[in-house]
Amino acid sequence: MTQLIEVLVLGLLLGGIYALAASGLTLVFGVMGIVNVTQGAFLVLGAYLTWLLWRVLGVDPIVLALVTTPIMFGVGWLVYQLVIRHLRDAPKATTVLATFAVGLVIVGGLGMVFSNDFRSVTPAYADRAFHIGALYVPEARLYGCGVAVVLLLGLWQLLTRTWLGRAIRAAAENPDAARLAGIDVVLVAALTFSIGTATTGAGGSLIAVLYPFFPATAYVWISRLLGIVVLGGMSSLRGTFIGALLMGVAEMVVSTYVSTSWTTAVPYLVILVVLLLRPDGLFGRRERRDVAVAR
Amino acid sequence: MTGRVTGARVRRGLVVAGVVAAVAFPLVSHDPYWQTVLYMCFLMALLAVGWNVVSGFTGYASLGQGAFLGYGAYATSLLTLRTHAPVWWFVPVGGVVAAVIAALLGLVAMRLRGHAFVIITIALVYISQLVAINWRSVTGGTNGLTLPLPIYGRDWQNTPYYYALLVLLAASVALSAWIRRTKLGAGLIAIREDEDKAVAIGVNAFAYKLVAFVASALFAGMAGGVYAYALTFIDPTGMFDILFSVQLVLAALLGGRGSVWGPVLGGFLIEFIDEGTNRLFGGGQVHIVLFGAIMVAVIVFLPRGIVPSAERLLRRRRERREGRVDQSVDLRVTEREPHRPPVTGRTLLELRDVHKRFAGVHAVDGLSFAVQEGSITALIGPNGSGKTTAFNLVHGMLRPDAGEIVLDGRRVERLPAHRRAHLGLGRTFQITRLFPEMTVLENVVAPLPRFSWRRLAAGAVSGAEAERARELLAFVGMAAFAGKRAGELSFGQQKLVEIAQTLMLDPKLILLDEPSGGVTPAIVERMVDRIRELNAGGKTFLIVEHNLPLVAELCDPVVVMAAGKRIAEDSAAAVQADPVVLDAYLGADWNGERVEA
Repeated sequence: MTQLIEVLVLGLLLGGIYALAASGLTLVFGVMGIVNVTQGAFLVLGAYLTWLLWRVLGVDPIVLALVTTPIMFGVGWLVYQLVIRHLRDAPKATTVLATFAVGLVIVGGLGMVFSNDFRSVTPAYADRAFHIGALYVPEARLYGCGVAVVLLLGLWQLLTRTWLGRAIRAAAENPDAARLAGIDVVLVAALTFSIGTATTGAGGSLIAVLYPFFPATAYVWISRLLGIVVLGGMSSLRGTFIGALLMGVAEMVVSTYVSTSWTTAVPYLVILVVLLLRPDGLFGRRERRDVAVAR
Repeated sequence: MTGRVTGARVRRGLVVAGVVAAVAFPLVSHDPYWQTVLYMCFLMALLAVGWNVVSGFTGYASLGQGAFLGYGAYATSLLTLRTHAPVWWFVPVGGVVAAVIAALLGLVAMRLRGHAFVIITIALVYISQLVAINWRSVTGGTNGLTLPLPIYGRDWQNTPYYYALLVLLAASVALSAWIRRTKLGAGLIAIREDEDKAVAIGVNAFAYKLVAFVASALFAGMAGGVYAYALTFIDPTGMFDILFSVQLVLAALLGGRGSVWGPVLGGFLIEFIDEGTNRLFGGGQVHIVLFGAIMVAVIVFLPRGIVPSAERLLRRRRERREGRVDQSVDLRVTEREPHRPPVTGRTLLELRDVHKRFAGVHAVDGLSFAVQEGSITALIGPNGSGKTTAFNLVHGMLRPDAGEIVLDGRRVERLPAHRRAHLGLGRTFQITRLFPEMTVLENVVAPLPRFSWRRLAAGAVSGAEAERARELLAFVGMAAFAGKRAGELSFGQQKLVEIAQTLMLDPKLILLDEPSGGVTPAIVERMVDRIRELNAGGKTFLIVEHNLPLVAELCDPVVVMAAGKRIAEDSAAAVQADPVVLDAYLGADWNGERVEA
């Protein structure tokens, strides 16, 4: 029983971090209709940046999220201007291929710079844990989840309380109407993509402390993030949050009670089952698909 | 010398030269390195050709094509190791196994569209890899499987694999070219261009996609068997490698998806680039960056790929040389009294208490009305009153939440749209939905009166069909445009072609969604004339239209909708005087649509 509670707690903490990592994918899909599978590579890039700065500056890696987040925002802006901007008229499936290709460039580039060895970020508290009653809670996971929740709340405030947030949501609801209302939809798309890259990168900073990583870890993350947003209904931030918690718990349950070698299968199974049985996800809206839209 | 540089001639010359060179190479050179490079080219090309059937023709992009190679490789290897029979026996079995897995997978995955399909194919590769790793008792896990060494001597080198893969490549290209020429291929391209429209004109999209998916896997699976034998060792990471799938997709994109020869060219180019970079940089990370960068560049700068772009260039040049042919729409109008067919008193279409909700909007709220055989019935109402939703419910693009729809005495509300098309229902769209990449003639021929497996194999355009299509085009006044690409026509011209397309199946009831919207008056006049002519010949019409003078001139009776309900039905004159109707259109406190709290 204690073990089960512990698995649930650890899974939820993990899920909180997953939610931050997946928020970018949801945001970009919601506004631009692009399944941006580059997010897996962005996450690992964020982890490497954290590792590098931690090694060079010796600053606490979780605090470093303050530095890596704006850098990743810039990376997102660059990728948008170089590639994504040109995909507006491409078929949806082609955009997935293109973002996968961008991910390859980043993963290969990381391999060239940092080699294919495992890296890990190990601050003093990396191996410490709190003992609450019979529960065992690693400190890093608790801090990571705390920071993730704070950042997500910040993102939520940005989306609901600011003009930019309203513009982003308007562009997601109906780009044509947003354009008529005087919103520069292209600028909003660029900002959304950059914000999405930044939040995913921040997620990478937090994850760097939890797990060792190497460039090809990006592929595992692509499927995990896809599993989460598919579960949450693709474009709903709230759905993604709940999907991420479920994914965290499911992975903990499988690795504790089944086998760690099947843990990586969880996201794929989630993708298969959800897309086949409930393609709109657990929280997605059922959308009208019958009306011909000129887009 | 009449030799003009046409795409077909250039292609034929290149293909003949290529085949001769490929067959002769091992007889001339015994360099095992080049044999290996070339058979890897064949492998890459044949996988790209298979991918092209499902992703190029049909438009369903897959990143899972490489997995079929893996299934074939594992099936062939396992059978060889268990039975100790020669590997070659099991190469066809590998193909069948891959095809069967594709069929099972297609049964579920082909219900998805766009991004969801790509995501599921990515998941497919990884799940296959995980299963191969963890199912140790059968697959040997990460240790992989080692095949027996070939029985023939070393001086044969790689020639057996070389010729086996060359034959498989030839077979894939033949299959792909054959599909492109048949009804199956025309249907697949229709699905790529506009799946809902394809279904509306009677294409059983699901069956078509399934056949395409199986066809794309068959030779990939057989190649897997040959490839496993050539390597003599297979393991999960090598056989289910997403990067390999990315490479073959890149090959097809670079060469030109949707064309028969593009993926072949792309396969060779990608394999040579692969070899070249391996020699220059030793592969590894540079490799990954390079392929990622090429893929981005191709998608952004050369989205059509090499072969289709070159063909376009040649076609443009030829058109310029031959000058523009004067084409015009035949706008003649028959000068005679409108004639109405005898009213049979039969009800052709009836809606009984039909409901449809979208989230909180009750778009169609207990709608009932009937269309009498031989009538030209109008369906009018203010914006948002539910006319288009009603149309989509009748035609099958939507299923009602409740209520009955009866077409010619038969309940149809649960039938898929293509079955309703087979029962005699045709429709045009508010914004025309022709297949832009097809010619006008191909568009008119595209509708299918029924589904049968035999029909899939029939030529895409038979003589009789072409003749009938030309008659129909002449009927709407578009005969001069038969060879033009539909995407190049004006909006009004597209509307006329769409009517001709609808007539191909000789429907009993034709739904027209705003036929006059956005069309020049001359074409509207022609269209009205043609509708009258068809009606005199016994065709029944149901028309959604905002142009009320046109409705008054053409239609009787007129059904008026507001807020998802029928609020009036009468002659045009009576309806226009009806206070309820005036209130619905003009009433100050009327919202036009009701949104539930």
